[in-house]
Amino acid sequence: MRKTLVALAITTLAGAALAADLRVGLNPAYEPFESKTATGEIVGFDVDIANALCAQIQRKCVFVESEWDSIIPGLQAKKYDVIVSSMSITPERARVVDFTNRYYKTPSAIVVKKGTKYDGPASLKGMKIGVLKGSTQEKWALGELKPAGVNVVPYQSQNQVYLDIKAGRLDGTVADKVEVHGGFLRKPEGQDFGYVGADQYDQKYYGEGIGIALRKGQGDLKKQLNDAIATIRANGTYANIAKKYFDFDPYGQ
Amino acid sequence: MRDYYLAILNGSLLTVAVSLASLAVATLIGLLGAAAKLSGRRPLVWLATSYTTVVRGIPELLMMLLIFYGGAIGLNNLLEAFGYEEGVDLDPFIAGVLTIGFIYGAYMTETFRGAILAIPKGQMEAAWAFGMGRAQTFVRITLPQMVRYALPSFTNNWLVLIKATALVSLIGLHDMTYLAKQSSAAVREPFAFFLFTAALYLVYTSLSLWALRRLSERYSLGADKVQLL
Repeated sequence: MRKTLVALAITTLAGAALAADLRVGLNPAYEPFESKTATGEIVGFDVDIANALCAQIQRKCVFVESEWDSIIPGLQAKKYDVIVSSMSITPERARVVDFTNRYYKTPSAIVVKKGTKYDGPASLKGMKIGVLKGSTQEKWALGELKPAGVNVVPYQSQNQVYLDIKAGRLDGTVADKVEVHGGFLRKPEGQDFGYVGADQYDQKYYGEGIGIALRKGQGDLKKQLNDAIATIRANGTYANIAKKYFDFDPYGQ
Repeated sequence: MRDYYLAILNGSLLTVAVSLASLAVATLIGLLGAAAKLSGRRPLVWLATSYTTVVRGIPELLMMLLIFYGGAIGLNNLLEAFGYEEGVDLDPFIAGVLTIGFIYGAYMTETFRGAILAIPKGQMEAAWAFGMGRAQTFVRITLPQMVRYALPSFTNNWLVLIKATALVSLIGLHDMTYLAKQSSAAVREPFAFFLFTAALYLVYTSLSLWALRRLSERYSLGADKVQLL
């Protein structure tokens, strides 16, 4: 009797889960993770990952666009159920929303003129390195490069950093590898520049990576999503998606 | 690239729709607010004065977030307390129009109040002496002159309102500013799309200015030659 009841409960739960769409909030202004094609379709790494996770938990992903500034209020106002929008897991955000385990953590790296010799921060002594003000890369540069005698110059936007490198006022930058690849290195003004040193993952500066945000008190959904992340990591789905966008494993260390 | 421009052009229709609908709401609230302020009844004056003071003193962005998200979160919490798990979904177009209308209604209240005060009281008293009722006096004597006095400030409010519609992207409406931002992020070419969008706003505001100037000329017929006293 008890077994039948449990079985019944499970089928009912599964049925309910199947029926409901999972509404996914995102801000499609962060190519290649989420952006809009000219025809209005939302595409990118986050979108593919969300769809793969939805397939795992047997729900249908429905994407809801939001401005970045109001993306957390939108979650709390139940405009959508989760945020899959390249959101870094930070203690400040964790106070108001729950996070799953990370689903990616792209490395940051130093970018300077090609051919620059590098065997540690001291190699860049006296150079001017631009960083985005308030970014994790700025924290890293202030913590690791500045003590070695590098001039770390903060900027309001990463694009201004690129403009000043082009103008010759800066020798390089520290930035997210995906960002610096799309915004600078693959462009004509970036062709003489390249990475030096190892990929940076240091948790002390860069935190835990990028996770899916949920409203507090959704423990079941959180567990389902964490299991689904582990599953797509294990069964090769994740690697297939990653190959479409990157030439390295974005899951990171 | 061409498709992105088309998408932005398409978004401009939403900008026009939101701004016109908001203007209608703001004008209605403005007329009611001005009537309340000039009514001389304590509670009405007090209500209208606190409305214009509070609304004109809070940034539009904060107001929008407070009403749309704060309202929805509050409502959802209330429903949850009564055992409803689903939660409500405010329609973003209606919410946006009501919010912008509510904000600009405060400015319109002051515009209309000033315009009505500019009409010499003696004219209304004369109308009453002729046996016209309050409504008739308003339609025949006050309104036509009020329009003339109100138009310059009304035009100002309208231009500011048009630009304020860019804020509706915060609550999930895809107006042309939002689409320009998405497009430039997708192609990583900011200025082309922003310049295009700026030009669209300029076309819209220029057309408005032209239309309102025609209206102003219509309502000022003869006014430059004859002093209405």
